[in-house]
Amino acid sequence: MKNGPLFLFGLLVSAVIAWSAIVLGAHGQLGGLTPWFDDGEGKSHPARPTGLAARGQLVYADLGCAACHTQQVRRPGFGSDQERGWGDRQSVARDYIFQERPQIGSSRIGPDLANFGARKPQPPSAETLLALLHSGSDRHPAFPFLFETRKIEGESSARALKLSGKAAPSVGYEVVPSERAVTLVAYLLNLNSPYVYPEAKPLVRAVAKEEGKK
Amino acid sequence: MSSNMDSNPGRGVAGASDDSLQAEHEKLLGKQPDEKGHYRLLPLNLLFLLSAFIMFSGTYLGRFSGYFHPKVYNEYGLPPKPGADSAAAAVDPIALGKNVYAQVCAACHQPNGAGLPPAFPPLAGSEWVSGSEDRLIRILLHGLQGPIKVNGVDYVGVMPAVGPGSGYNLNPEKVAAALTYIRKEWAGIDTPVSAAKVAEIRGKDGTRQPVTVAELEKLP
Amino acid sequence: MITSTIQPPPSDGDMVGLHARGPLLTAFGLAIGWLVASGVFSLIAAIQLHSAAFLADCEYLTHGRVRALAETSFVYGWAGGAGISAVVLILSRLGGNPLRAANWFGAGSVFWNLGIAAGLVGIATGDMTSFSLLQLPRYVQPLMVFASAAMGIAGLLAWSGRRRDGTFASHWYGVAGLVLLPWALTAAQVSLLWFPMRGVLQAVAAAWYTEAVIFLWLTPLSLACACYLAAKLVGRALPSYEAAPLAFWMLIVVGTWSAGRHLVGGPVPAWIPTMAVFSFSMLLYHFAVVGLNLRPVFGLSGSVGSALKFGVGSYLLYGAVAFLACFRGIALRTQFTHFASATEQLFLYGSVSMILFAALYFLVPQLLGRGWSSPALMSGHLAGATIGVVLSVVALGWAGISQGAVMLEPKTGFGEIASGVRPYLLVNTGAQLVLLASNLLLAVNFLRSLCSCCQGSGVSTALSEGSAS
Repeated sequence: MKNGPLFLFGLLVSAVIAWSAIVLGAHGQLGGLTPWFDDGEGKSHPARPTGLAARGQLVYADLGCAACHTQQVRRPGFGSDQERGWGDRQSVARDYIFQERPQIGSSRIGPDLANFGARKPQPPSAETLLALLHSGSDRHPAFPFLFETRKIEGESSARALKLSGKAAPSVGYEVVPSERAVTLVAYLLNLNSPYVYPEAKPLVRAVAKEEGKK
Repeated sequence: MSSNMDSNPGRGVAGASDDSLQAEHEKLLGKQPDEKGHYRLLPLNLLFLLSAFIMFSGTYLGRFSGYFHPKVYNEYGLPPKPGADSAAAAVDPIALGKNVYAQVCAACHQPNGAGLPPAFPPLAGSEWVSGSEDRLIRILLHGLQGPIKVNGVDYVGVMPAVGPGSGYNLNPEKVAAALTYIRKEWAGIDTPVSAAKVAEIRGKDGTRQPVTVAELEKLP
Repeated sequence: MITSTIQPPPSDGDMVGLHARGPLLTAFGLAIGWLVASGVFSLIAAIQLHSAAFLADCEYLTHGRVRALAETSFVYGWAGGAGISAVVLILSRLGGNPLRAANWFGAGSVFWNLGIAAGLVGIATGDMTSFSLLQLPRYVQPLMVFASAAMGIAGLLAWSGRRRDGTFASHWYGVAGLVLLPWALTAAQVSLLWFPMRGVLQAVAAAWYTEAVIFLWLTPLSLACACYLAAKLVGRALPSYEAAPLAFWMLIVVGTWSAGRHLVGGPVPAWIPTMAVFSFSMLLYHFAVVGLNLRPVFGLSGSVGSALKFGVGSYLLYGAVAFLACFRGIALRTQFTHFASATEQLFLYGSVSMILFAALYFLVPQLLGRGWSSPALMSGHLAGATIGVVLSVVALGWAGISQGAVMLEPKTGFGEIASGVRPYLLVNTGAQLVLLASNLLLAVNFLRSLCSCCQGSGVSTALSEGSAS
């Protein structure tokens, strides 16, 4: 290692090879993923997020929601993701192809949100979510800065939150969600990828089918 | 030793000078052959350790690599067989047929297959549906023109072709699936119509004018 | 046998050159400033973990943003700033010449710190990139590349212009750390910020960058310091030194192949997490040899020696824990839990930071030309840091393990999980408080030493201005 240029060359080559193998290698495999067209349904999956939802993802990212919520379901049998109703199949790369900034996250201080818009028996309503964002709960922080408390002039706004108890604004005032709150909620309710891609099928079922054929 | 030394560790500790420190270590790395002319190797125990790690990691990688396949997400999984990906193979013909029916046929024949007199004959209970498979395939591939008698009632209308090359451009799989669904639903026939047969008839007949009842009756 | 050849170092203290003292001391001072700032952010984040409402209604301090602020000011501000400065200083000492391109280092360090300051404001106002360890907003990212390269140039020149022909372990690790950060930052920025890859590939590229920060930047920087300090403090050549080159190359070559350990069970093909186990089991050789090489530090005493001992020990422990957590069966219980924060804390604080503390206490007197003003503050700081790290790593690790166990029970709701780990999180808050207090001791001690030095020997007053961050 006395030879300076050779040493530097070795350093860079090692780093470049590792980067190429992991990042470019994965890119070569997954970079060209296309939506999956299901002949039976005559539809392709995943669907593009709606315009509101795509903007809501940026709000989700800039508030740092990913610090507590993941958006990746692990396969049935690996953890309790399925039993908790987060999704019946594991998340695969195809789920994220239309997402500008996927927020797969790495910490589950709160529940996983990958299929939040498909919660059984029914997903929470937009009003419930807005109320949670406004007032928080025991476990969830409040984000009042996403809302505007203003004096009611004339008729109260149709978008005003119906709050009761402590969170309710004083008489003559109303709480209206800002655009950011609206897009964030639209994004959360748009999170939904139930379609089972061939590569996402749980292994057990595939094996059973094969045995059946034999 | 003390606080003085503790507060001034950089100067007070009896350590090597930067120069002698390097000289000592260079000596250790020097690649001069020893007396017997051998180069210095890694100590045997480290060499053993290194090979153990390499062997373990190699075995693990070989076992759980998922064949480095982009579609294997489970480390125990096998790569999908070539061709297994094509949707048609995986799709249930009844489900596909129901879908095609809903998109293409239901506007005239109605979702419940009752038809819409006087132009659009019913499928439910129709002797044509429970009858010859060949005739049905030709009706779908080429369309039907002229009057047709169903359940004793005359209908006069035009049915457009839905097969390949027509305005609907359904492939043979979809035509077969639609027929399979129709026959199962309204005639109780379980035998599926095969896409191969549809393709064969399409190949034989080519693109042509809509068929008439007279032509159909010549067929088996 | 070797000690006999060692001569007392008469002019050791003057070798860096007077002109380089200002920039280096400024850089150290600013790094300590960021350390204190990150302590405040970490404390807020720790409180929010058990009391969700704490300050979260302030838009600039949501939990996600505070986490990003704490991580960025710690990794780039403190560990990066102090690590690069210490390595440049060590390379210059080993080179045996006064530091060349000290003005490059000074300018780079100013822009580096300005970039971090602007970046923290950006994160607080919602411009973070949401990639772990790459949270600085995109508009300051290019600046960080140039600033780190400019600081590194001084180190590279010291290395290439060295008096001796041969090299020492600190040379390899130090140069690797200085050279590879600008490269890794560029690669990460191109693939994540300028031409973002599609979908889940962003997660892969971000995981790779995390590994690059750990194994191509912070580890080399801290090991460069550790090898130098160990050789100096022990006064003997490092044992099993002939195995060191291979251990070094093992780190550089396979270190970042372990990116998949952040994606176990995630939406990536199976080979990516499997590759992490592959590379980490090769890395075990690196950890084993580092342990062999640096084992004399475990016999050291004194404040600096104990800090170094703790840092090296934490590094080895980190290797073992991270290796185990690569495996799917174990990751199943540890991933997505506080255990991950505990491992990160063990590496960033227990290993990198403690080694840098030792380096700081060893090197700054050489720059000042006199000792630290208060040995009591020094031992207080190190004792506090040790207690804080042990407490927070144990508390978070324990919380993570119990959290992971109940997470596997689908019946247990998140409220129940949270109240189960609450006692540990309270301990963690206490630990963060201790860490913050101990780091304040370091800051006070540094400022006092600087002032007494300025008054005593009349070194330019510009120094003290720079360090008053």
